[in-house]
Amino acid sequence: MRTTTANKKIRSRRSLSRNDRFTLAAFIGIPTLMQIIFLWLPALITIILSFTYWNGINVSDIKWAGLANYKNIFFGTPVFYEALKNNAIWLLWFTFLATPLGILLAYQIDRKIKGHKIYETVFYIPVVLSLAIIGIIWNFMLQPGGFVQGVMGRDIGNAVSIWGNYSINTYVIMGVASWRHIGYIMLLYLAGLKSVDSSLREASAIDGATEWQTFRKIILPTMRPVNIIIVVITIIESLRAFDLVYIIYGTSTAWPLLNILVFQNFAGQGISMKGAAYAVILLVLCIGPILLYLRNVFKEDLK
Amino acid sequence: MSDVNNNGISRRSVLKGAAIGGVGLAAGGSLLAGCGTKKVTGDVHFTIRGNLSDAGAKIAIAANDAYTKKTGNKVISQAVNSDDFQNNFVQIMQGTPDDAFGWMAGWRTNARADAGLLADVSDQIKALGKSLSPAAIQGATNPKDGKQYIIPTTYYPWGLHYRKSTMQELGLNPESIATWDDLIKLCEATQKKGLVGYALGDKGGWEAMGTFDILNMRLNGYQFHIDLLNGKEKWTDAKVVDVFTHMGQLIPYMNKNVLDISWDGMRDLLLQKKCGAMMMGSWFANDFKAKSQADYDDLWIVPFPEINPEHGVDSIDAPLDGISVAANGKNVEGGKDLAGFLGTKEGIDAAVAAGDTNIYISSDFDTSSYDAFNKQKLAVLGAAKNIGFFLDRDTRGDFAGPVVGPAIQSFLKNPKDLTKILDNTQKQWDALPAL
Repeated sequence: MRTTTANKKIRSRRSLSRNDRFTLAAFIGIPTLMQIIFLWLPALITIILSFTYWNGINVSDIKWAGLANYKNIFFGTPVFYEALKNNAIWLLWFTFLATPLGILLAYQIDRKIKGHKIYETVFYIPVVLSLAIIGIIWNFMLQPGGFVQGVMGRDIGNAVSIWGNYSINTYVIMGVASWRHIGYIMLLYLAGLKSVDSSLREASAIDGATEWQTFRKIILPTMRPVNIIIVVITIIESLRAFDLVYIIYGTSTAWPLLNILVFQNFAGQGISMKGAAYAVILLVLCIGPILLYLRNVFKEDLK
Repeated sequence: MSDVNNNGISRRSVLKGAAIGGVGLAAGGSLLAGCGTKKVTGDVHFTIRGNLSDAGAKIAIAANDAYTKKTGNKVISQAVNSDDFQNNFVQIMQGTPDDAFGWMAGWRTNARADAGLLADVSDQIKALGKSLSPAAIQGATNPKDGKQYIIPTTYYPWGLHYRKSTMQELGLNPESIATWDDLIKLCEATQKKGLVGYALGDKGGWEAMGTFDILNMRLNGYQFHIDLLNGKEKWTDAKVVDVFTHMGQLIPYMNKNVLDISWDGMRDLLLQKKCGAMMMGSWFANDFKAKSQADYDDLWIVPFPEINPEHGVDSIDAPLDGISVAANGKNVEGGKDLAGFLGTKEGIDAAVAAGDTNIYISSDFDTSSYDAFNKQKLAVLGAAKNIGFFLDRDTRGDFAGPVVGPAIQSFLKNPKDLTKILDNTQKQWDALPAL
């Protein structure tokens, strides 16, 4: 026993030269350290601060607040539930409309339908823009005095209410966000599709499978790694949504999202650290579904 | 730690006061004679709130240039988005802030001064002497320590703005409105002619606070208003319901896109002659002047009419603006020197020459040279006995923006929810930790 473990040790030591070990340590150590310093430490501090009252200036002013901030959010802040609703709508919309549409587009383009190059370019262009820029563009188009209003012959006095019209603004925002998300998903899926062995498709065609059957039984399972990425991206994008809405509405919570509440309550206004509590809620929401999903995936892989 | 800072600052400001030649400070200067009466030197960094293309930025730069000309100290100005600057104020002030910047008196100054983020400018205020009225100094004073952390420079009234030409064409005279019914009739008549009766935007969440403030002060009086904003009265009070009921009566005359436009949308409605009356602070008049002199000459303001005879028109929102100095700036003395200069006649003259239409507090400034609009602003201000600073400066920052703003937006969106909205507003006030 002793000798074998000793041998193993020697062997493993030998397999890595000093240089290798140094490189490995640097490559793993430095990023880990940076993650801890710039991500985990602030996250931990935020979690702690969410249980306090503090104006963010002198450390000596921090006062323990217990669950007060959370109580305030859950029982005293209706805008929190509006934000939750909006984030949920965002997630549902992306999951059931934007993402499938992106996959469909990718699939069609991959089949080299007529004019596929043009479609590809058209849907790809919004992806190179950040959501903040997209917010600026669409705000410029749709706001009173904006381009679309001008084309409709509406001046600022009788402009069609869009951002302030609560029966449509959610759909408009979803549409604008999807404008980019569809292209993004299409791009990811297209990259994945390129790596699918074409003989698989030919084989299924010879076996008389319909297009839908081929997609469901052949393409989708072979695309598993890409699918996981897409699910995770869709969830994260929906929960972290911020910039688009911030550009349109500013910090006023006219169309609240969790991230906007984090920002509004952090932006040097208060002393309650309610912003930290919002951030923690968001963190839990983000980590929860992703951990669950990844665990599921790995479980299946182990089988 | 902040104590040490404050001590350091006040000692240095004594020095500086002597440098300016403040007579009352001669004694302090001689105490520190070892250091000599140094002239304040070095570059001063100044934050302009707004875009460089704004009329306000040009005015600030002109005034800063005048300072450079006088002292030889260079002023490096940078323009920062006004909302971003306000929202990130605490963070900016804890980093490496510019030395001086345009700021607002009231809660936003006092709370930050208490936290040790702003430098004490009491000596500069003393140096300005009698040019500042006791009321102005009072308005700029932090009630906690009796010191000043802002040099008050300008103020402006919130009132009903309109274009004289538009009203003439409609055959209406807003100057004759004396009561609530008169105002409603005016809005109705304007609307009948196809214009917006009562222009309002509330996308930013603060614009409609002006209407709330004035309705509350007119209906319930200044004291109730201030007490309400400081938690001594309840939002669920029937008096507050009354305020919103009155606001609700104005909704039919408003533009149908209130939540789509911000203050600049309101300004454009008036600029493009699309509306009758607009409740707003007069500060936007600079933009009219920048557009054309004719547009500016067409602009007029009248006080919001009386609603409750008990209070008449005795109150007004007139936010006090000025220059503050960052305690953590690189050149605190320079910042104070510049701030002090901007409050003097020379500074004001430079700003006015660059097209500033604001009313200056300083009595050194010759009001006889005011144009008609400014004289009218003074008249509107003079009619009031009590001066509010505007909702987001009269109450704590974690209440105004995050609670009252959305509450008014919800009301404009759905006036039927009023009871629920007010219950909730009170609940959120109660949940705020003590300051």
